[in-house]
Amino acid sequence: MTGSLRIVRPVAGGDETFIEIREDGAIVAYNGHVDLGTGIGTALIQIVAEELDVGFARVRIVLGDTAHTPNQGATIASETIQITAVPLRKAAAQARHFLVARAAAKLELPVEQLTISDGLIRGNDNRSVSYGELIAGETIRLELADDVTVKAVDSYRMVGQSQPRIDLPAKATGELVYVHDMRVPGMLHGRVIRPPYAGVDAGDFIGNSLIAVDEASIAHIPGIVAVVTIGDFVGVVAEREENAVKAAEQLKVSWKPTPSIPDLTDIETALRANPGTPRVLLDKGDVDRAIEDAAKPIKRTYLWPYHMHASIGPSCALADVRPEGVRVWSGTQNPHLLRVDLSFLLGLPESDIDLIRMEAAGCYGRNCADDVTADAVLLSRAVGGPVRVQLTREQEHAWEPKGAAQLMDVNGGLDADGNVAAYDFATRYPSNGAPTLALILTGMIPPVPQISEMGDRTAIPPYDYDHMRVVAHDMPPIVRAAWLRGVSALPNTFAHESYIDELAAEAKADPVEYRLRYLRDPRAIDLVKAVAARGNWTPRPEWKQPESDGDIVRGRGFAYALYVHSKFPGYGAAWSAWIADVAVNKATGDVAVTRVIAGQDSGLMINPDGVRHQIHGNVIQSVSRTLKEEVTFDRAGVTSREWGAYPIITFPELPSIDVLMLPRNDQPPLGVGESASVPSAAAIANAIFDATGVRFRELPFTPERIKAGLQAAGVTPPSLPPPSPQPQSVMTRPRAWALPSLATLGAVACAATAMLWPWRAEIAPIATPDPSTYSAATIARGAELAALGDCAVCHTGPSGIVNAGGRALETPFGIVYATNITPDRETGIGAWSYPAFERAMRHGIHRDGKHLYPAFPYNHFTRTSDADLQALYAYLMVQTPARAQGPETKLAFPFNMRTLMAGWNAMFLTTGAMTSDPAKSAEWNRGAYLVESLGHCGACHSPRNALGAERTGSAHLAGGFAEDWEAPALTALSQAPIPWSENELYNYLRTGTSRYHGVAAGPMAPVVRELTNLPDSDIRAMATYLASMNKVTGATEEHALATRLETLTLDRTLTRGMAGERIFEGACAVCHAVGGPELFGTRPSLALNTNVHSATPDNLIQVILHGIDKPVTSDLGYMPAFKGSLNDRQVADLVAYTRRQFAPDKAAWSDVEAAVARLRGGKVH
Amino acid sequence: MGPCFRRDDTGGTWARDKTQTATMTATLRLTVNGKSHDVSAAADTPLIYALRNDLELNSPKFGCGLGECGACTVIMDGVAARSCVIPVSGCIGREIVTLEGLGSRERTDPVQRAFIEEQAAQCGYCLNGMIMTAKALLMRNAHPSETEILEALRYNLCRCGAHLEIVRAVMRAASPERAAS
Repeated sequence: MTGSLRIVRPVAGGDETFIEIREDGAIVAYNGHVDLGTGIGTALIQIVAEELDVGFARVRIVLGDTAHTPNQGATIASETIQITAVPLRKAAAQARHFLVARAAAKLELPVEQLTISDGLIRGNDNRSVSYGELIAGETIRLELADDVTVKAVDSYRMVGQSQPRIDLPAKATGELVYVHDMRVPGMLHGRVIRPPYAGVDAGDFIGNSLIAVDEASIAHIPGIVAVVTIGDFVGVVAEREENAVKAAEQLKVSWKPTPSIPDLTDIETALRANPGTPRVLLDKGDVDRAIEDAAKPIKRTYLWPYHMHASIGPSCALADVRPEGVRVWSGTQNPHLLRVDLSFLLGLPESDIDLIRMEAAGCYGRNCADDVTADAVLLSRAVGGPVRVQLTREQEHAWEPKGAAQLMDVNGGLDADGNVAAYDFATRYPSNGAPTLALILTGMIPPVPQISEMGDRTAIPPYDYDHMRVVAHDMPPIVRAAWLRGVSALPNTFAHESYIDELAAEAKADPVEYRLRYLRDPRAIDLVKAVAARGNWTPRPEWKQPESDGDIVRGRGFAYALYVHSKFPGYGAAWSAWIADVAVNKATGDVAVTRVIAGQDSGLMINPDGVRHQIHGNVIQSVSRTLKEEVTFDRAGVTSREWGAYPIITFPELPSIDVLMLPRNDQPPLGVGESASVPSAAAIANAIFDATGVRFRELPFTPERIKAGLQAAGVTPPSLPPPSPQPQSVMTRPRAWALPSLATLGAVACAATAMLWPWRAEIAPIATPDPSTYSAATIARGAELAALGDCAVCHTGPSGIVNAGGRALETPFGIVYATNITPDRETGIGAWSYPAFERAMRHGIHRDGKHLYPAFPYNHFTRTSDADLQALYAYLMVQTPARAQGPETKLAFPFNMRTLMAGWNAMFLTTGAMTSDPAKSAEWNRGAYLVESLGHCGACHSPRNALGAERTGSAHLAGGFAEDWEAPALTALSQAPIPWSENELYNYLRTGTSRYHGVAAGPMAPVVRELTNLPDSDIRAMATYLASMNKVTGATEEHALATRLETLTLDRTLTRGMAGERIFEGACAVCHAVGGPELFGTRPSLALNTNVHSATPDNLIQVILHGIDKPVTSDLGYMPAFKGSLNDRQVADLVAYTRRQFAPDKAAWSDVEAAVARLRGGKVH
Repeated sequence: MGPCFRRDDTGGTWARDKTQTATMTATLRLTVNGKSHDVSAAADTPLIYALRNDLELNSPKFGCGLGECGACTVIMDGVAARSCVIPVSGCIGREIVTLEGLGSRERTDPVQRAFIEEQAAQCGYCLNGMIMTAKALLMRNAHPSETEILEALRYNLCRCGAHLEIVRAVMRAASPERAAS
């Protein structure tokens, strides 16, 4: 064992080490708090290196590891520098004193004659000895003393100097191992399945709502190791991560109905109804009397919504639970307390559990309830080996314990002289002590609401009002909540700092001057004055209409706070004051925070650059919270489950930030992790007031809220009703296969009877032809024709064996199963002669004489030339036979009577090959042949009559429906905003995409994929033929039209604030915004997309729900499915917005939400 | 209810179900950071899992699985690509570059260096996406304006609020002399 010097604190069960210096001179510092991405590790090293007089690089810091670091509680409340660094600093100083004393003895010199440089103690006679040499082989243990003399600030060399962060080089090169990146041999991958009561953690239904898990539902997924259920805890473990993901998505789990939560679309009512216990924090003077006597009583209510921590990385943990001990790698903020939870969950002593704290995604309080670590522990216990678990984005959004909503009532007013008469403040904050989820889901602890006293942070305003009462109503949680940066101090300060601004306005006093009247704290006064000076604050005792620049008005607001945190009465972290400059668009309600001057007094700054970055982060995050953020709920729970439904600030929305850091090296260092965010909302609200004269008292300041407020105040004229788009003949959803009436069925029966003999003879089986009979050229030609006819698209079933049948084709008459058309003698067409094949193709008759249903488009195939039919026959007969008996088609009466098809054929089938039109070009005729015969485009793209027959004449190719997708009109009836030209038809059929129309998706994608087997000349011919049905459009005209349509979409005036707009911006714009960033794949332009302009929303809904996972070619890129992330309402909102924004001349679709519900269960293409 | 779990007798591997073509494992060849790798995975496996778990390249981070946040960004055939929404089957024959492929701590890429010099991260979870998106931007536009940088990064989310440092880093990478001034 090597020698070391350790500074320790004895606790039950052993020593806690703060500083360890090894004989090789290496120094390790231990702190119970963790680095949440703030760079605290760097600052702690600076403190240690300073006290020990060693170089920065010599010190290593260990944070939060339960086996090694002292238990210093959760990393919260900006306490690390202010609180937990104190013993660390003392320990370092104590070590230095000890070593210096030793050196003095060894060198036989008085301490005064020694200097230290990077751990080398040198006498004035130039003899020296290093820390390591002083320790040598000894094991020295010193108990941490209280009365240690630390260095004088004026002797600091390292503390107070900006120091680059230790972690960034590894982070910028992908070398840092986050908890997400941790892997050990034999590691398996777990995912959890959360209950439907999203984000709710109190109520007697919790832990007992699971009905059943159907393990067979994931039996097809390879490498599933376990399905674990305990109470309402459900998880899966797989060998590969993507299979765990798939299993969690596909596992059929049934749950009891979830009880309703309070209506959180009306937070004020919900919070007033939530039973609270008033707790008086301050009662000074005679508040009631003062209010009674006020010359101008003013009563206000301020409202704060639920916010998310919104960590960019969904929680992740790795656990290895074994009989010999438990190791857990976790991103928790609270390692020691989490270990207590895990010990309870596992029924093991804490000492059996080693919790290793790894870096994680920034969490801002969320990881105080690091649910995923417990999830990983349960799954690891079930399989007896290491399991890594990561939550999905949807789970992270829905289940992270939220930053609680808050309601602040202020009663008070002005006396006759314009002074503050009284301040009666009441705050309601539903509690935030979210327990580790696994404990309540498994029933290990009862799901009873815990009431905590957390609404009181900064509840007492910083102003010395004569008559003041402050009451916190402690109340149970409504949904899961936990600390979120600034906790209740942000909402409380929003109220304090808005109210004093309101009072100043009423008193016709400048808001900064008015604050200074009531501030007593000299550091607060200094800061307020310094920030006002930095911003060249001009006194504004009276509100004046600002100059406007078109619809834009500008304003500036001030706010100040000392963040008082921790258990009441708590203590202050850094002082903070803001000037916020805003630009408000009166027409749209948009608020831009253009500039923030953020002043801060943090005492001594350990790492000034680190402080500056924390201020930047706080400003940006709190601007985001103030302008944009609000968790949405329905009566079951949280509905914001991805970034579209919970948008956060983006780069173009950034304010410029001017940071003013007061030099206070003589004062103790203070926490800077939260303070700068505390004045945010009020500063911005005050600036909006300055710009508009209208006061906003509820967050977030979204365009719709601001616009409504400005309209209510008469600042902005009321919205005009939306311009009535061109009336359009809105078709009712045409159905490819409408249910026939009895009368029409009768007609078919009559037609069948009119034919003398509706039954057809069997054609005798033959020996399967010898493949050598056919030339290679014939077979190759047949392969092209098979591709043109999409044989494999319908005839390939779930087995994946090409043409072996079994695919279910849904029709209103019932399910028709495609048959096996491989040359297998028993189950396929191996015994079919060419005449039998030809009869089937031309007349729709099976070899055995039975009628086929017209789901098989023989009405098109009949038009194929003899030569082509022969080539197709040759190709099919030389394929590998596959023995596969698909399900038999069994339609209900009367459609099970196949003989009726004789009547149908008599009415609707015109047999025989096509003839060419001599008036048209050869290319056109070729195209017509390909489209109308084997290409059978009309089977989907023509509407059908009541008997399921394609309509003809002007209805031919005028648009139909197939497989719950609309097959748009291919004629001049197309809804495409730019008429289809020959070139674009060619591009689309050849590549699967057209710049002016979009990409092939749904059932069209496999069609285009098959067409890749055809020569260019055939594709060009089809394009020529189809283009002839459309208005002739030249390339120049197309380009001009596209530019015009896309430019129109840049104007958001009419759609600003629509519910779907936010979802679009967060979920869709990355790939679909006009002029957006270059990304892999195409960038389909919605303004030009036929589906957005169509009479029905079905195709748009289909791609949103199910995505595009099999594009024609991978070059086109992929679109994710949103069905697991957006609910029906959200998809409907998104669809409504898309329609309005990108097809502004078209009428809104109706019943969209019902269509979403109908298509949700649909097939994925 | 107690924990219930099962493991089948074949050591955890289920027999392949022929009806689910997408889940069938195949060997796919990926070209990542200039090297060929054979990956045994189902064709529909999102690229991010193959990179992270098979190639042990940790830089692409799972953020949303929907292509919304950008944390998983890699550069594919010279453009930014969100590896959480692209199946491995779509990546065959393409040149994939991850953050590790740009450079290491010992030999940083100029963009990585600019991010380190500007201290352009806090927790760093989004950092991969920021650097890779910036790199892709600079590959097609060596001297972007500040507005172009903001627009290029619009759909990369950062929650810590390191945005200003990130923008400065991209400007420094684009034009070292300008950033220094």
